[in-house]
Amino acid sequence: MQCDSCQAALEARLDGELSMDEAREIDRHLAICPACARQFATLDETRRLVSENAMRYNAPDVLKARIRGAVARAASPTVTASTRKTLRWWREIAAGVAIAIVSSGITLVTANRSAVRYSAEDELLASHVRSLMPGHLTDVLSTEQHTVKPWFNGRVDVSPAVPNLDTAGFPLIGGRADYVRGRVVPVVVYGRRQHMINVYAWPSSSPGGSPPNDLSRNGYHFVTWRSGGIEYWAVSDLNVAELHTFVAMFTAAH
Amino acid sequence: MNEGDLQRFERVVLPHLDDAYTLARYLLRDEHDAQDVVQEASLRALRYFDGYSGGDARAWLLAIVRNCSLTWRKRRRVDDRTVPFEDTAPISTSDADAPDAAVVHASEQARVQQAIASLPDEFREVIVLREVQDLSYREIGDVVGVPIGTVMSRLARARKRLAVLLQIDAREAS
Ligand SMILES: [Zn+2]
Repeated sequence: MQCDSCQAALEARLDGELSMDEAREIDRHLAICPACARQFATLDETRRLVSENAMRYNAPDVLKARIRGAVARAASPTVTASTRKTLRWWREIAAGVAIAIVSSGITLVTANRSAVRYSAEDELLASHVRSLMPGHLTDVLSTEQHTVKPWFNGRVDVSPAVPNLDTAGFPLIGGRADYVRGRVVPVVVYGRRQHMINVYAWPSSSPGGSPPNDLSRNGYHFVTWRSGGIEYWAVSDLNVAELHTFVAMFTAAH
Repeated sequence: MNEGDLQRFERVVLPHLDDAYTLARYLLRDEHDAQDVVQEASLRALRYFDGYSGGDARAWLLAIVRNCSLTWRKRRRVDDRTVPFEDTAPISTSDADAPDAAVVHASEQARVQQAIASLPDEFREVIVLREVQDLSYREIGDVVGVPIGTVMSRLARARKRLAVLLQIDAREAS
């Protein structure tokens, strides 16, 4: 094989686009030709560096909810094109939340698992997505833990931990009271880059603690744990590893 | 559209929104533009879902995202100047002040990100489709609308540029 034809096929060799026979022929040439081999090594290193380091982005929660809502409306024959245009995007999110609940309801029936467990996640997921609508995230907007914690007094019957995690890269955004699983509960809101983390708290039936447990659904992650007679649920579209880091910081700080 | 088609669309197409968003981020280099384009592309995908023949849904959605991105760029008259590549400070390789792995990784990411951003559009898109989205030559050809030979030559030229930008030069071949 000539160097010219070898070099013309290096990309395809690298990308696994050659037949086995063709690949073997290239490899034979590479074994005896330092110039081509060096060119191949450079290409291979470039490919490795780029594919290992190039960013993969997550579409933000709000965008996903917006799209699910818009798709539901666009597919619905009762909504005309002109009405659709006038819909504000936050209404589309509301439709997206409805879809999320409907589709998880289907999962519930077909999966035939523990209904109690599933409904808790359904409600938390719906509450989390709803909270991302403008004006729904916080009732008290403050980066100051000594403002957020007292705000819950008298509004809810548990007093959640509100640690300051600024230095760990999880700034406090605020708090709100939300209605989930049949009662009004405190929600402490933290941020991480463009992601939101909602931390829900319930009075726990057992007084002891329990280590964090995670599960995922529809691209959202949940980490739940018990501490000081309170059951906590952290919900976010942040990746699981970072959500666990958050929970570790949260539990260590209070 | 009937309920069954809608559910099929949600099951087959919507799981690829992260990939769609990633492609739009690279093509438009703006997160807000990328969000708008992905939403537009999703609705267009829904409209043309009849024409989806059951091949790779991800490549199919990415092709729509790419078309919407091009239209968006024209409409917005986003100028196509490439971001100038600025050489970052060289990383010391001496053991005395070797930066820890996380720092090296972060700066490696920044270097790669900058190098990709500096590529002309037609090179950047094939690199992203190949290295980030892991598409085959045929799929890239379908998404971009060019023959496989063109995919190969663009990819080769893009990688040559990246090798220079990233200062990769394998001295010893094993
Ligand atoms: Zn050779």
